[in-house]
Amino acid sequence: MMLTALLIVAQVAAQDPRLERLDPETRSLVVAVVDSARAAGLPTEPLVQRALEGATKGAPGTRIIAAVRRLTVDLGVARTALGPRSTAPELDAAAAALRAGATPQLLSELREARQPPLTMALSVLADLVASGVPADSASAVVLALAPNAGDADLVEFRRAVERDISLGAPPGAAAAVRALNTGIRFTGADAGPGQPPPRPPSRP
Amino acid sequence: MFEQEDDIVERVIRQLRRPVSIDPGVDARVMHEIASDAAPESPARRPLLRSLPWLAAAAVLAAVVVARPWTRGGNGADAFQFVLVAPQAASVSLVGDFNDWDPARSPMQTAQGVWATVVQLTPGRHRYAFLVNGVEWRADPSAPRAMDDEFETPSSVVTVGGRGS
Repeated sequence: MMLTALLIVAQVAAQDPRLERLDPETRSLVVAVVDSARAAGLPTEPLVQRALEGATKGAPGTRIIAAVRRLTVDLGVARTALGPRSTAPELDAAAAALRAGATPQLLSELREARQPPLTMALSVLADLVASGVPADSASAVVLALAPNAGDADLVEFRRAVERDISLGAPPGAAAAVRALNTGIRFTGADAGPGQPPPRPPSRP
Repeated sequence: MFEQEDDIVERVIRQLRRPVSIDPGVDARVMHEIASDAAPESPARRPLLRSLPWLAAAAVLAAVVVARPWTRGGNGADAFQFVLVAPQAASVSLVGDFNDWDPARSPMQTAQGVWATVVQLTPGRHRYAFLVNGVEWRADPSAPRAMDDEFETPSSVVTVGGRGS
């Protein structure tokens, strides 16, 4: 009895005080997920932030817990794909890339192709998909750019694609054309191997 | 009278729809100039002064947000300024991973409807949104959207990198 009480006190003391914004039931489940992630060597700050985001946005507890659990799974997959020496920012960005549709295989190939950190490359990949570029096209482009492009180059590439999309270009074609402009041979879904490169989008 | 105006409008539309021939090399040249201009520093780390054209463009739009780093702080953190043009808003807060999603931590200050605040961002991918009038969540229209909006409100993403920037 006394031991149980002490364990509860210890758990409360070790609990992140920021999570007090959650209702007690949600908090206890989120704390359990965070603790298991910590035990597995995964970064816990993204999990705490996801829970806090849900709390601030007034999401129901079940949705908050589901979001935190799903992110934990993604972080675990990312860590397996990128290796045990991955940094927390890399894993966070990789989780976003996985959610966008990147495969664990692609993450491993990026690790091989690019000097660390991979944070920007992974984030640009997720952002391209968010802009409407098909996941396999975005994956192919980022993997092709990864060996030689700096972070600034990747950011500029993403912005150029977004500009083209805002001007009316189909997202996949925009990524392909911009990739061609960098000198790489695009082999994404919109221009498979052996296919002629897509035409640049016509400007108004 | 209306028919005459319609005719003018039609002629204007026809002119606007005429195909414009562009030198195929112009895109490459423009991109080369942009790349050479951006090479010494990351576009994400330009001083605030160089982001002023963005602010001018933002003033034209109903709501445009600009996030540009300002100064380098400790622990590898950069100071980023976030700007939202929201003339009708009574209050705006910047809320995200960098301030524990606490609307009280980064209230934005306004000058004639242009809301701004500065926050320190460490390297990594940060989710954020704007809370307008304490009730309305807005994403950053000039930043990538977060795809995993599991809470059914829009969020945006800013990534602070390292290599080559």
